[in-house]
Amino acid sequence: MVYAFLLPSLPVLGGYLYTYTLYKRGLIRKTLHVNFWNFLIGVSFLISGGGGFLLLIAMELGIVLPLSPEMFYWHVELGISMILITLFHFHCYWKSALEMVFLKSRRDRT
Amino acid sequence: MSDSCAGGCPYGLVNDPFPGQCGRYIDFNGNGVCDLSQVGAATNTPSSSSDQTSSPDTSSDSLNENVVDHGNSNGSDNITGVPDSGSGGSDGVSVGMDGPNYHVLPISILLLAAYLGTYFLFKKGILNPKTHKRVWNLLVTVGYVGVGITGVLLTTMVNLGIKAYSQGITFWHTEMAILMVIGTLIHLHIYRKPFKRMFKVLFKWKSAPANK
Repeated sequence: MVYAFLLPSLPVLGGYLYTYTLYKRGLIRKTLHVNFWNFLIGVSFLISGGGGFLLLIAMELGIVLPLSPEMFYWHVELGISMILITLFHFHCYWKSALEMVFLKSRRDRT
Repeated sequence: MSDSCAGGCPYGLVNDPFPGQCGRYIDFNGNGVCDLSQVGAATNTPSSSSDQTSSPDTSSDSLNENVVDHGNSNGSDNITGVPDSGSGGSDGVSVGMDGPNYHVLPISILLLAAYLGTYFLFKKGILNPKTHKRVWNLLVTVGYVGVGITGVLLTTMVNLGIKAYSQGITFWHTEMAILMVIGTLIHLHIYRKPFKRMFKVLFKWKSAPANK
């Protein structure tokens, strides 16, 4: 079994660049761009993270769900997408992320 | 499908060919099929194993076909590649049929208790709201980074057929995933207002009059 890396990541990368360009050119509001990607990270989390968590609990209980192999496959593929979407989430909240890591707020730095 | 491999493959895979769909692939008999996923009547070649991959679920056909295709293509490599990884015994990590035990409940309970603790302190005014947010944002970031790095490592290793340290990485991938999932739920609770606003922005949902 070979997992595809490009298939789940290229559409995500292209989609982000597309909405980012639309926002930068003033065609859509920033809230729409940010919320759209927040929604996508939620969906990918539900499928990849939620599916993985379900598999883990089933494994701990010794249960093999009828959809376990399919769930495992999509857990991996959507996980690859989620990595990129998580990076975009950091990009959207870049200033807050910097504050989180370096403690200093924007007001303190000025 | 679940009947054929009950107590075997934790993911319910049947006759999973080399290099295996997950990091738990083991092949002590060197037949190119994961021992955990092998159906009772063992098959010697991956191509013949594909005939036994028939499952009662029609929905899983597409995935099984994928597995079979790759199995056939890798079939010739299996003969040479598997004994090495098999004799290595997955870098010496003891792999039982049940696999390693993960700490789902202890970590979940610990995180939820810690969140309730910091939430109580924050509500009482003892803890700065910013510090409260910062601590939980950092923890969820650690979870995502950990899961992301180990996940990419595992997927690359599965694609390349590398078995070294896969059990250890799978273990940490799972432990970090527990932190990530519980951390995300906490993250959603902390940012519940922007979360609700997201649906308003995207789907034009209107809040109830009582929420004014």
